[in-house]
Amino acid sequence: MLARHAEMIFWCGRYLERAEDTARVLDVTYHGLLESPPAEARRSWLELLAVLGLAEEFLAKHDEVNARTVSEFLVLDATNPGAIVSAVGLARENARGVRELLSSEFWEAVNTFHLELHARDLRVDLAQQAYELYGLVRRRCQTVSGVASETMPRDDGWRFLMLGWMLERAEMMCRLLNVRFGEVAAAGELASFPILLGVLRSASAAEAYRKVYGAALDPGHIVEYLMLAPNFPRSLLYCLRQAEKDLLRIGAPDDLSRPQRIIGRLRAELEFCDVQDLLDAGLHAELDRIQQRVREAAEALALQYFRNVTVDLHAVDFRPAG
Amino acid sequence: MTGELLEGYDPEGFFDELMAPDGTVRAHYRRLAERLGTFTPEELARRERLRDAAFRTAGITFTVYGEGEGLERTFPMDLIPRVIPADEWAAIEAGLVQRVTALNLFLDDLYVGERAAVRDGVVPEWLIQSSDGFTREAFGIPVPRGARCLVAGIDLVRDGQGTYRVLEDNLRNPSGISYVLENRVAMTRVLPSVFGAERVRSVDHYGASLLAALRHVAPAAAGDPEVVVLTPGVFNSAYFEHAFLARQMGVELVEGPDLVVDEHVVFMRTTRGLQRVDVIYRRIDDDFLDPVCLREDSVLGVPGLLAAARAGNVTIANAVGNGVADDKAVYAYVPALIRYYLNQEPLLPNVDTYLLWDREQREDVLDRLHELVVKPVAASGGYGMLIGPSAGELELEEFRRRIEADPRAYIAQEVVQLSRHPTLVGDHLEGRHIDLRPFVLSGERTEVIPGGLTRVALRKGSLVVNSSQGGGSKDTWVLAAAGEPTTPEP
Repeated sequence: MLARHAEMIFWCGRYLERAEDTARVLDVTYHGLLESPPAEARRSWLELLAVLGLAEEFLAKHDEVNARTVSEFLVLDATNPGAIVSAVGLARENARGVRELLSSEFWEAVNTFHLELHARDLRVDLAQQAYELYGLVRRRCQTVSGVASETMPRDDGWRFLMLGWMLERAEMMCRLLNVRFGEVAAAGELASFPILLGVLRSASAAEAYRKVYGAALDPGHIVEYLMLAPNFPRSLLYCLRQAEKDLLRIGAPDDLSRPQRIIGRLRAELEFCDVQDLLDAGLHAELDRIQQRVREAAEALALQYFRNVTVDLHAVDFRPAG
Repeated sequence: MTGELLEGYDPEGFFDELMAPDGTVRAHYRRLAERLGTFTPEELARRERLRDAAFRTAGITFTVYGEGEGLERTFPMDLIPRVIPADEWAAIEAGLVQRVTALNLFLDDLYVGERAAVRDGVVPEWLIQSSDGFTREAFGIPVPRGARCLVAGIDLVRDGQGTYRVLEDNLRNPSGISYVLENRVAMTRVLPSVFGAERVRSVDHYGASLLAALRHVAPAAAGDPEVVVLTPGVFNSAYFEHAFLARQMGVELVEGPDLVVDEHVVFMRTTRGLQRVDVIYRRIDDDFLDPVCLREDSVLGVPGLLAAARAGNVTIANAVGNGVADDKAVYAYVPALIRYYLNQEPLLPNVDTYLLWDREQREDVLDRLHELVVKPVAASGGYGMLIGPSAGELELEEFRRRIEADPRAYIAQEVVQLSRHPTLVGDHLEGRHIDLRPFVLSGERTEVIPGGLTRVALRKGSLVVNSSQGGGSKDTWVLAAAGEPTTPEP
């Protein structure tokens, strides 16, 4: 497929996952803070912004740090490229550029989602029923991914879409855990039950977790599940395995590309590590490190497949001219 | 028509597609009128909302330049379809095939032939030389089978007597076919019972026919030709159509930077390296195709593309330089070209046209400018026209001055009172002026897609049907003759 199309499709997947995950982390933070004193709330919101890498941009615009200003910035501020409306808009722009590679159903789902966000009064939604708005974003993203999985052939287009999805999800899973867990686990504090449940719920993992560990919520178990579960589709390990599989099919059969090496190594590390190793090493630092590696993999992927402008023309096999 | 829809409907002396001068419904509209009569205005309004939602969801939009907000608009489709009976269509089809065949012969003769029509005085040499569309860079670029107008859009109008006439030929990058296909999809969804009552010839094989035609003109050496669609990009007003066609054909939609030329061979950049391209269905204007030969400031094109085409390694469709044949002054010579190349009488007449470098014609035109239409020879899309009867004295004076300064740059035509068609306005029908753009493909045979794009001037009394200027469209139904299938043989 065209290098430019692969890149657009990859980013379409990334932006959709980003919108969904932003809604997830906002949801956890918002509901975790409902009964907290203002000072603690302020600290948590700043932490969330920092984890999303948007603290500077936010502070350049706002003096007040509270639920309203931060959630508006992350949901409806069109000048913030990380806001949900922007991410969905960018996903749509990218999808529009590769419409002929997507199924009509996929395009329609993305386009409808974008139009719906524009038709709503998001400020009022946030003030009155933030929970429902976050739920809506999540459901729409799930609709899109469901439609993709039901209507798209498993070709390279699908694989780049999945890669965008999985790499963004892996990165955002690191962020999600960092928001409510990094500090807690490092300090050995016991997080409150609602916060622990919130983390699981935000990853749609509460029910799946209980099937494995029972009703008691243990921070170590939660970290173990969300990072190392081989069969849960939002766990870090699962995302990396999936990404590795897609990279293998895209690549040349007898060759290991650089993104494959980075992802494969990281996948193997998580596959054979014990959760206690992660906790001992300091969860916060570990999550940062993993996130950095995922980012490197995405950069290597772009170089390999999207920017192959330096390919040696004379090494390419083609029919003789004329 | 039963029901209240057509109550008080008045053709007002125009040729009306649906209603005969005696107030009866024409035979080929009767079934449609009966079916529509069963709908209340409220029900039709509900169907209109359904239609709008369907178009918006599918993202079928065109871009309006120069408006910050509302960048994308839907192209309004009127719910009342246009119906063309089988015998009428057969005559149109034959006329179109004849015209496009002659135009292909003429263009091939000009660019790679001996210029017989010029040599034999059918078209004056100076007229060709002075046409903006006559492109030096196209000399010697071969097009397999001479299919230079691979896709032609021939604009037809019906005059006061109902005679179909050719208003203009669009031989460069005619657009609009995507609306033809999408309108049909929308009609069958929004008014299935009305559609189902007729035997309407299908249009949805267009993608397959276009791909077959493009593969047919591939360079001889290409075994299994790789076809691509070349677009200026997502910000082009017709981008939706470019993507639509690529999808219909199952080929790549590329932009200039996706292509690279090496040793006169064209490649596209893919995730697996470079891949050879054999046929380019380009939707970029000539000027922007190749910065080496044409406009040097073009970032849309591909350096070296024309040389690759001249070497016979890639086919560009439509061919470079077609603009000379849809120059509106050359248009006046098309009937003569048909006689010259085909030794046939033209089946579809032109609109009466006056050539302004001829002193006698010019003086006559300047005397009655207020009765005529004046068009710049190289423009399309309804830009820069003078409509005499509705122009003010200042405007008339301005055009008088321009014509005297450069008589080659304009033509004058009699005003055609375009036929009208009942069109839904609020809760009732009113007559609105329409035209028709059928699409003609030059592949293994010359093929006309049944119907085409009927454009309708939605503003009351307006004769301008262009989408950029308040026009809408109608689904166009060509009825199958008795015993004729509605879909072509595979």
